[in-house]
Amino acid sequence: MMNEWKEIANTMENTYLRKWKESGRAAVGYPCTYVPDEVIYAADILPYRLRGTGTTSSSIGDTYFGPVICSFPKCVLQLAGEGRFNFLDGTIIVPGCDSMRRLDECWRKAADDYKGILPGFFHYFGVPHKVTDYSLMWFYEETLKLKEKLEKHFGVTITDKALKVAISVYNESRKLLMQLDKLRVKDKPVINGEDALSIILASTAIPRDEFNKMLRKTLSQLEIKKETIKGKKRLMLVGSINDDPEFMKVIEDCGAVIVTDTMCFGSRSYSDLTEEEGDPLFALAKRYLNHAYCPRMFGYYKPRLKNIMDRAKKAKVDGIILQNIRFCDLHGSENGIFERDLEKEGIPCMRMEREYGPLTESGRVKMRIDAFLERIS
Amino acid sequence: MRKETKEYNFDWNMWTILENASKTADGFRKEYETLLNYIPNYRNVLDAFVRHGEPGILFLKIIAKYSNDCVRAHIEGRKTAGVTFCFATPVLYAFNIQPVTLEPWSVLGTVVLKRGTSEFLDYCSELGFTETSCSSQRGSLGAYLCDLATKLDFVVYDSPGICDTNANSFAFAASYLDIPFYQLNYPSTLTDERAKEYHHADFKGLISFLEEQTGRKPDMEKLREIMKENKRQDELTCELLDLQRLKPSPMPPIYELMLYGGRFMMNGTKEYTQLLESMVAHTRKKAEAGKAGTTSGNERARGLFCYIDHYTTDGRLWDFLDKRDISHMGSILFNFWQKDSLYAAGKEDEGYNLEDESLEAIIDSLADQMSRMPMVKQIRGPYDAPGMWLDDTLGAINIMKPDFVVYMGTMGCRNTWGMVKPFVRDLEKHGIPTLYIYADSFDDRVQSWEAVADKLEEFLKIRKIIT
Repeated sequence: MMNEWKEIANTMENTYLRKWKESGRAAVGYPCTYVPDEVIYAADILPYRLRGTGTTSSSIGDTYFGPVICSFPKCVLQLAGEGRFNFLDGTIIVPGCDSMRRLDECWRKAADDYKGILPGFFHYFGVPHKVTDYSLMWFYEETLKLKEKLEKHFGVTITDKALKVAISVYNESRKLLMQLDKLRVKDKPVINGEDALSIILASTAIPRDEFNKMLRKTLSQLEIKKETIKGKKRLMLVGSINDDPEFMKVIEDCGAVIVTDTMCFGSRSYSDLTEEEGDPLFALAKRYLNHAYCPRMFGYYKPRLKNIMDRAKKAKVDGIILQNIRFCDLHGSENGIFERDLEKEGIPCMRMEREYGPLTESGRVKMRIDAFLERIS
Repeated sequence: MRKETKEYNFDWNMWTILENASKTADGFRKEYETLLNYIPNYRNVLDAFVRHGEPGILFLKIIAKYSNDCVRAHIEGRKTAGVTFCFATPVLYAFNIQPVTLEPWSVLGTVVLKRGTSEFLDYCSELGFTETSCSSQRGSLGAYLCDLATKLDFVVYDSPGICDTNANSFAFAASYLDIPFYQLNYPSTLTDERAKEYHHADFKGLISFLEEQTGRKPDMEKLREIMKENKRQDELTCELLDLQRLKPSPMPPIYELMLYGGRFMMNGTKEYTQLLESMVAHTRKKAEAGKAGTTSGNERARGLFCYIDHYTTDGRLWDFLDKRDISHMGSILFNFWQKDSLYAAGKEDEGYNLEDESLEAIIDSLADQMSRMPMVKQIRGPYDAPGMWLDDTLGAINIMKPDFVVYMGTMGCRNTWGMVKPFVRDLEKHGIPTLYIYADSFDDRVQSWEAVADKLEEFLKIRKIIT
């Protein structure tokens, strides 16, 4: 079963996606956890989270983006330019941060030079940077606009009933992922971070109901699994986007196991449920604007610190890796204060800057992890 | 950080330098010339202001007053707010709050100090603030974080949704120093009713925050007085823009820095009005004589700086332009989008109008002013959307008729570096020679001013702008 998860995690066009497309249904890409996938799912469209996995060059990314930009959007643009997202019928752009925001123009401009890479549906989804009554209302209207645009472009109707079903399916998914969390944080974990990440990645690339079915099966297997992980240092991973199970492997091969995280391809995407009562669209807006904060939400340092501390305590971690992709100042800077405050609480931390994409620097990463593990042993 | 750097507070040290600099022209010419030998690190820039007579000297006095106000705020019982340059200051002055604007402090430090602000830039990194963050804040933020400057009572910023890197500096400062903060957060659109309502609601939240921090309500009388100055300043700015576009442009290149520098520090104050009046009067005289604003009175080319200027040690950009008889046709920092400005002709919905009939009207119009500040207006949405960066730059090109456009900024500017390549390509498609420079306007170590000057020179030559 784990091999199937890994195959989905490591392949752009996985079997489920291909079957979905063969059945004549559409797929829409989205870049971050602030997009309510349920709205897309309720339109019978496959929500597919954009990743830059498998890039071997950044020639296209570097043509449109400047030199001091995070490698994640560059890799996404690279794949788009190579036509590897041509299976998508639509894309949603989110102002997750300055670099991700500019994926909008860079993708559109690249499409002038690389014909056919711009999906028919290309939508900018505004997300406020704080939570207030008026920003929630703004976000609700954005969600409503997204719904209406999807309806118009794809000729579908997204009913309240379909939204409620989607909410229920996604909530179930989140509950299952929380169950997986419990297996990760056990004194003797039955699954490592690499495998857990593969499962989480699959949740963003295949239909959610299929995902739930598969995860239920995996959980039942894990719950009776005799073989446990012993004698490893228990680590937590915090910071910029990571969708690379190989990165987790490099860390874990040094003699560690990643038992918890606050990553966006991680607990941040499933630790809050959507209310199932009332107006479903408003419930989604509320959940997505309020969900475990990314540092793009300015001024929520303390709740984020508390989240890390709570999860670290629950998972009994020996140390925390605070990593950021180079030029990701939002995570990178906050990691600096996290380090100060977490070390004060007696939690050993290691800050690490890295590149997104192919592991060209695994030697350096390994050496730093080795040194950190030595420090906390 | 070197031990010597810690011996004096950064802002106090700067204030003593600036205070003395502002008095240099008060003495005899011979005294002044002798004095220049003792200030090798900023003699060029000081002389550039003094050479421009009354407006230059008034500007020196403004920055001396501003730095004095920052240093003495607590002694005088005023609260200090850490703010960003694109935050319109009238609302703070109305609450008797001293704006401590990081970017002008960084500019002053990099212009005046021998090593620029490199030690404060690096100190931020020592604390964990990324070295890739924007140097325009880091240059002075380091001093505030290491307690070598007036304590900040709280932070207010208006860059979330505009420039996350900028916003992140202020979020970092508030978290690191554990002080209260308020953010004005902007949607990606500007002119629709939804955006307007959002701006107004958010601004009212700011007013409540300021009331909470100061324990007082806005003083109506003071507010009206500030609005009066604010309005007058808008009129003068519009007049200056109108004069600037003449051929040859009668406005000296360095006035551009004086216009926005004064505005970022002291918008709404009488001193800034006086500076603008003097700038307008002097520019008018040049226009009447049919002379360019350059020292020679000639104009060989007109350059538009589509983003910001270059400030590192001794601020030599303006001198570079002046010596080559190049008129500075403005930057993104130069235009504030008053409804009556040339830029807003035919695009009135993109401009703001100051109203003073009631408190409600004043607050709403200040919210509109804030939402049109440089950068806040132009880079909140896709650069090629109506009313955004490309549109505004093409508008400026149409009005100012520059011969070339230059982009220079900071290496921390994710937002503009994220799209400057296609932006430049678009400008070239419109037939305007455009150069983007890999340099940092606040940190000479990224690329020295000499290298930047070489690049500019090369560009002007190759594109046959100045032969």
